Amino acid sequence: MKVRLGKESGIFIVLLALFVALSFISPVFLTADNLIDLVRTNVVLGILAIGMTIVILIGGIDVSVGAMTAAVTVLLGYFTVAFGFQPLVALLVSIAGGTLLGLINGLLVTKIRVHAIVVTLGTLSIYSGFTMYVTGGSWINNLPAEFIEFGRIRLLGFVPIQILFLLAVALATWFMLRHLHIGRAIYALGGSPVAAERSGIDTARVQQFVYAYMGFLAGVAAFVHTSIYRQVDPNAFTGFELQVIAAVVLGGASIMGGRGSVWGSLLGVALLALIGNGLTLARISSFWHKVIIGLFIVIAVSFDIWQRKRQERRMAKIDVMG
Amino acid sequence: MKLWQYLRLSAYETTLLAVFAGLFLLFSLTAPNFLSAANFRSMMVQLPELGLISLGMMAVVLTAGIDLSITFTAALSGIALAWCLSHGWPIPAAMLAGLVTALLCGAFNGVFIAGMRISPIVMTLGTMILYEGIALQFTKGGSISGFPEAYSVIGSGSVAGIPVPMLIFTGAILLTAILLNRTAWGRSVYMIGSNPTAAEFSGIRVRSVLMGVYLFSALMAALAAVIMTSRYNSAKVDYGSSYLLKSVATIVLGGVSIQGGAGTVKGVVLGAAIFQILSSALNLYGLSPHLVDVLTGTVLIFVLAVNLLNQKWKRAPRTRVPPPPEATEAKVPASR
Repeated sequence: MKVRLGKESGIFIVLLALFVALSFISPVFLTADNLIDLVRTNVVLGILAIGMTIVILIGGIDVSVGAMTAAVTVLLGYFTVAFGFQPLVALLVSIAGGTLLGLINGLLVTKIRVHAIVVTLGTLSIYSGFTMYVTGGSWINNLPAEFIEFGRIRLLGFVPIQILFLLAVALATWFMLRHLHIGRAIYALGGSPVAAERSGIDTARVQQFVYAYMGFLAGVAAFVHTSIYRQVDPNAFTGFELQVIAAVVLGGASIMGGRGSVWGSLLGVALLALIGNGLTLARISSFWHKVIIGLFIVIAVSFDIWQRKRQERRMAKIDVMG
Repeated sequence: MKLWQYLRLSAYETTLLAVFAGLFLLFSLTAPNFLSAANFRSMMVQLPELGLISLGMMAVVLTAGIDLSITFTAALSGIALAWCLSHGWPIPAAMLAGLVTALLCGAFNGVFIAGMRISPIVMTLGTMILYEGIALQFTKGGSISGFPEAYSVIGSGSVAGIPVPMLIFTGAILLTAILLNRTAWGRSVYMIGSNPTAAEFSGIRVRSVLMGVYLFSALMAALAAVIMTSRYNSAKVDYGSSYLLKSVATIVLGGVSIQGGAGTVKGVVLGAAIFQILSSALNLYGLSPHLVDVLTGTVLIFVLAVNLLNQKWKRAPRTRVPPPPEATEAKVPASR
């Protein structure tokens, strides 16, 4: 019996090779400190990539994620400075803010019925312009001490609390996609919008949910980000949407919808993280990072297409012989 | 030649023209110094950069693609040009180097998108990061300057009172209009956008047409790069990166369907002009540039919403963005 290599296992092999190579190149790489730090700094990217995965699954895209997250960090910053920090309240405020922005995206995408990239480009401009106008581009540095303490919590003495958020989001989203009605509807909509509609799925509501969920995760990501960096920089997420989309695409999701998974996207995030970390450890100028990430995307996507074409050809052959 | 036919506006374009005229009148009356020569000059110098990028983006979007790498193609082309200039190359040779750089970027996109049928969003997302990375690696994040005196004429000189950038832009408009409306290539571009399968079966060489589209957008990026480097008298990675969002907004405002197949050069030029007077006037009012961003996004979404209402009103079953029948004159002749 042949083992079928999916896109995800392909990435996994690349990831493993990179991991082994890095352990040999740098003695620092395989230390617990480096690895934990690596995960911690990529938690935000991971959370947003999970949200983007389901947006891309339904054949949409949300280029306003960076702007949404930045807007929520600012909201959270002002809120905690004014009212003090209580973990649950602060998290709820972030989530409410993010979900609201996501709902606006969803409303516009479903009502205007133009490709989501155009609509979210518009809201990207609005959200980030508004954030910059309100803050004037200046940082919020005087976060309450409790918030800073909260960000330093390490469970069992070594696991940063932020990692817990990523795990929770990943498990919840995986469960939703796999076992809940809405998850099946999301895959159905991505596979074929017409078939989904005819099988009785309210496609507009699914879309609305997906964009709201993206906003919800942007809220969570904003909370986690602020707890890591202990200050708010309204510019921190400029252009971040590209990294998020890059991670999802590297993780094997199809931009046309219907294909993609939470674990694949997390592998994509891990790949981006390892490339960045590896280049730093190998003392390669950070200016090369983007060149290599760009090349990786091009190679990964063309490899995927090439493989699919080969498969199609094989299937066609069977057809003829059968 | 029935030149007047090309100048006739569709209903949607007439609306755009009316919006432009209305805004112009409003700003003339209320914005301080809007009618001054200095403001007109600065508008005519700024408009071509956005306009050129939008024309390049338009050609790609007409084929139902998108070129996210267009602004970094421009940046890379400008950096190549600047490097050559600052190393004592003669101006035409340096410009040629910039053009070749841009065309290489476009060809790289084209090979993968046309040849392998990779989704344009993903491919140009990858090359956008790639080109930015190459530009960063080359300049180490700094800027390249030290051009000969004569080079600044392009950005700041004028012929018969018309700034040189505007002349370049006018040339590019004519070139785009002729290529799209008067050549077989242009007709194929519209056909591929409206129905790629039908285009393929009707014998259009989809690959070479698509390749041409990405080369064309690179050409426009190279022209924009020439104007930008001359105007700033230097080249840097992030010059022009703000035009990506604006160019998509411009062409959508100009009536180009993001699903491909429909859109006119006239509309795009009007769209660019509207965005230009809007941002100039808001600047004159002393409004924060961040609020201008907010307004740009709002205008974009507002136009989309109005388009939709307009369609619903006419009870047209989900047609493409510019629904009036006149718009089809730019499309493939329907009756054949």
